Amino acid sequence: MAAAQPLLEVRDLKVHFFTREGVVRAVDGVDYSVNRAETLGIVGESGSGKTVSSLAMLRLVPPPARTVAGQILFDGEDLLTRTPKQMAALRGRRIAMIFQNPATSLNPIYSIGAQLTEILTWHEKASRRDAEPRVIELLGLVGISDPATRLRQYPHELSGGMRQRIGIARALLCNPSLVLADEPTTALDVTIQAQILELLAELQARFRMSMVLVTHDMGVVARMATRITVMYAGRVCETADAATIFNAPQHPYTRALLESMPRIDHSYAGPARRVLPSIPGRPPNLLNPPSGCRFHDRCPEAQVECRRLLPVETAVAPGHIVSCLRRGSPGIVA
Amino acid sequence: MDSDATPAATLQAENLGSRQRPPGVWRQSWYRFRRNRAGMLGLTLVSLVVLIAIFCPLLAPFDPNDQSAMLRGAARRAPDSIHLLGTDRNGYDVLSRMLYGARTALAVGLGAMAIASLIGVTIGGIAGYAGGMTDELLMRFAEFFMVIPVFIVILAVVRLFGIVVVGTWLENIPNLNLITIIVLLGCFEWPPIARMARAEFLRLKHAEFVEAAVCIGSRKRDILLRHILPNALPSLIVLVALGIGGAILAETMVSFLGFGDPKAVSWGQSLFFNYEALKVAPWAVLTPGTAIFLTVLGFNLLADGLTDAFNPRLRQ
Amino acid sequence: MSALLEVEGLSKSYPVMERRLFRARQRTEIRAVDGVSFSIAAGQTLGLVGESGCGKTTTARAILNLVQPTEGMVRFEGDDIVPIFRQGDRARILAIRRSLQYVFQDPWLSLNPRWTIGETLREPLRVHRPEAPRTWTARVDELLRMVGLEPHHAWRYPHEFSGGQRQRVGIARALAVEPKLLILDEPVSSLDVSVRAQILNLLAELQDRLRLAYLYISHDLSSVRFISTHVAVMYLGKLVEIGEVDEIFSRPRHHYTRALMSAIPVPRPGAAQTRIALQGEVPSALRRPSGCPFHPRCVAALPVCAEIEPMLPPAEAGHRTACHNPA
Repeated sequence: MAAAQPLLEVRDLKVHFFTREGVVRAVDGVDYSVNRAETLGIVGESGSGKTVSSLAMLRLVPPPARTVAGQILFDGEDLLTRTPKQMAALRGRRIAMIFQNPATSLNPIYSIGAQLTEILTWHEKASRRDAEPRVIELLGLVGISDPATRLRQYPHELSGGMRQRIGIARALLCNPSLVLADEPTTALDVTIQAQILELLAELQARFRMSMVLVTHDMGVVARMATRITVMYAGRVCETADAATIFNAPQHPYTRALLESMPRIDHSYAGPARRVLPSIPGRPPNLLNPPSGCRFHDRCPEAQVECRRLLPVETAVAPGHIVSCLRRGSPGIVA
Repeated sequence: MDSDATPAATLQAENLGSRQRPPGVWRQSWYRFRRNRAGMLGLTLVSLVVLIAIFCPLLAPFDPNDQSAMLRGAARRAPDSIHLLGTDRNGYDVLSRMLYGARTALAVGLGAMAIASLIGVTIGGIAGYAGGMTDELLMRFAEFFMVIPVFIVILAVVRLFGIVVVGTWLENIPNLNLITIIVLLGCFEWPPIARMARAEFLRLKHAEFVEAAVCIGSRKRDILLRHILPNALPSLIVLVALGIGGAILAETMVSFLGFGDPKAVSWGQSLFFNYEALKVAPWAVLTPGTAIFLTVLGFNLLADGLTDAFNPRLRQ
Repeated sequence: MSALLEVEGLSKSYPVMERRLFRARQRTEIRAVDGVSFSIAAGQTLGLVGESGCGKTTTARAILNLVQPTEGMVRFEGDDIVPIFRQGDRARILAIRRSLQYVFQDPWLSLNPRWTIGETLREPLRVHRPEAPRTWTARVDELLRMVGLEPHHAWRYPHEFSGGQRQRVGIARALAVEPKLLILDEPVSSLDVSVRAQILNLLAELQDRLRLAYLYISHDLSSVRFISTHVAVMYLGKLVEIGEVDEIFSRPRHHYTRALMSAIPVPRPGAAQTRIALQGEVPSALRRPSGCPFHPRCVAALPVCAEIEPMLPPAEAGHRTACHNPA
């Protein structure tokens, strides 16, 4: 049973922001799951709810947001019913996080060594002396040369790529079963991004951990993810394995998104060269989201019913889930 | 700075189809300010003081310099139906003095801060925009003013000036003492404003919309006055509101020490005249004391509210 | 075709001061841009690519005199504009400003938050067409339509717009005075993926319609491939490779260009990408390696690379590479 059961299962998660202007439905009924030792890529634009839903897994949604409904089953246990104390023990130990901005996710006034050993002394009650060799070993694993010296250095003495390596080492210290990486390479240059992605893939295989990779970059998920979930306006559009998403996408948003990206391996030179198929309009305001399917007002295939009915996620093939009325999903009046 | 994409702002972006004119940046700040209880209380207190200052001739039951109660032997009279807040040891009607005192307080606060803002924004603005050596020199100059003990200078100048002017035409200027205090306060309160103005001009000088104006070919004067200054204004207004309260308090203290303008009707002066009789005639001290307290509190709360209204991001 | 903009040996260096108690002493200098030369003809787009800190934005700012170039010539329509800016002759400066405009990277920062869109768009007209204020409103309407907005948007404030709409306003402002060359500094990198294509299409359409030349600065190679006719690659302040877009992308010759291209994650899972792994990171401009600045990270470095700096061949050759051992 343990093999078939996913490590993490998010069911009908709803996270709303309670602002003075009204309720912003940042995450509005999202389902996805992460199997053991796989990487789930969550792709979406800003405001799609991809970051908020991953923060909800750690129960770290900032006020005025609140998780209003749903279940987050981690190893079969619902994280939303845990006490804050239990959550604190879990965070960093069994579920770890890699942040977007390596410059701000490390505390500038403590040395690298102090910040990393603290995690071990706190979570595993290890003594400083026992912790240090493990920290040094891990720093070596994430590709930091001369780790013993680096321990005495401070974040500002390191380059952006180095800091992100430290951030990764910090996440992996306690051997977590799940790592959440929120745009881990967005702040980095492309050549450094390639190094970091390679490192992440290598470490994931080595430690057989599961990873949730949140990003807006289709290229990054193509390289990293086993399965991909595409989010739009707080809802899941499509979930499938990576090859299916790129080669046979079903949801009109996924298709449009892929087509709208200029390709580095495609020539646009020539007289009648340049029109990218683009998605009209702009991402919706979640304070007042479109009725029915969230994407209907920008969708090239929208019909009358799309305006009225909210599509429910449905499997169109084993492991390929789409929520689109035009692809046979049943609709509900929301 | 005001580029926050509040849900309200995005909502308006959604409804761009409608032709209705949306609120500007200043009006948005006002909407935020209106929701701030402390700020609104401050605004109410300040408005009250302003209204009293304007209408005190209509409101006050007696002339503020009317000492006739003393001749009637009615000095230090407890509040009754004629003198609603009693009389003090000089026979003045406490209520009338309190109402007229608002004028002096506002004259000091506004006058001193007007001078301070003028000097501060000019010096700070030039320092921030020009940078380099000019900046260094002007800021050292500002620091020099910051380390001088203002009170001692004011006390010394007021006393010296009082002696020097005797017999000259200057003597005929009404409230000369008060004007001296206002000018001196203004001349010493500008460094914080200059520092803020410098920081803001420095930040805005490199703002992309300012560089865009440079690329367009706008004149330096336009860039300074139409791009940079309006965007620096919110932070400066907050500082000025805070400074008004401070200046009022400073004048009160000078007057309380007996260096005030004997011809002006000032709350500090009332305290100075009556503090010895605190036990016998507490109303004569408590009334101006309360007035000072509420006025300064009002300006401080106002400044607080303005900070929140102009910089919504600072607060979660 | 004669060039509209010619940049020759453009350099910008910043002194690095050592602070003593009383006086600052110049210790060394950082060469942010080091002898960059290229040219752009009317209707062409030169994509200037490189990683952060390679000097591509400084190059643009030096062309516009937002920073004063330390050395080199910037010829626009044949005239060297660097001395014109230095002399400060306002009429001549305005004439240059009118033909050379800039679109900023961040549409959230590049619009004055206290001005309506109309005020922002009228500003260039106020400066360059002060004699005909009656035409301003009509021109603002026209500009808004040109970039896909509505005339009534002129009454709105920037905070009411989305990022893509703001960037349209930024483009409209640059177009207000009918420039011949637009410098586009990462115009789409802060926008959402679904909006990027709209703005790229708009830029392509405007270019064809108004026969504009673009200097398109970006680290995003896929958008460079889409919009550019020519590409120049920068590394540590130097131009390392320049040529026509399809040439550069299909046959990159400098090893840095090759590494850069192979580092881009392609949206095709399992794509057989032969990635050229780059070791280490871009060195600080303060510790510029001797010889070829790229040699410590280069996969094909020869002993000569550490000693002699390779030069970009003169402008006649089409596809040029500053490399001793090109691929």
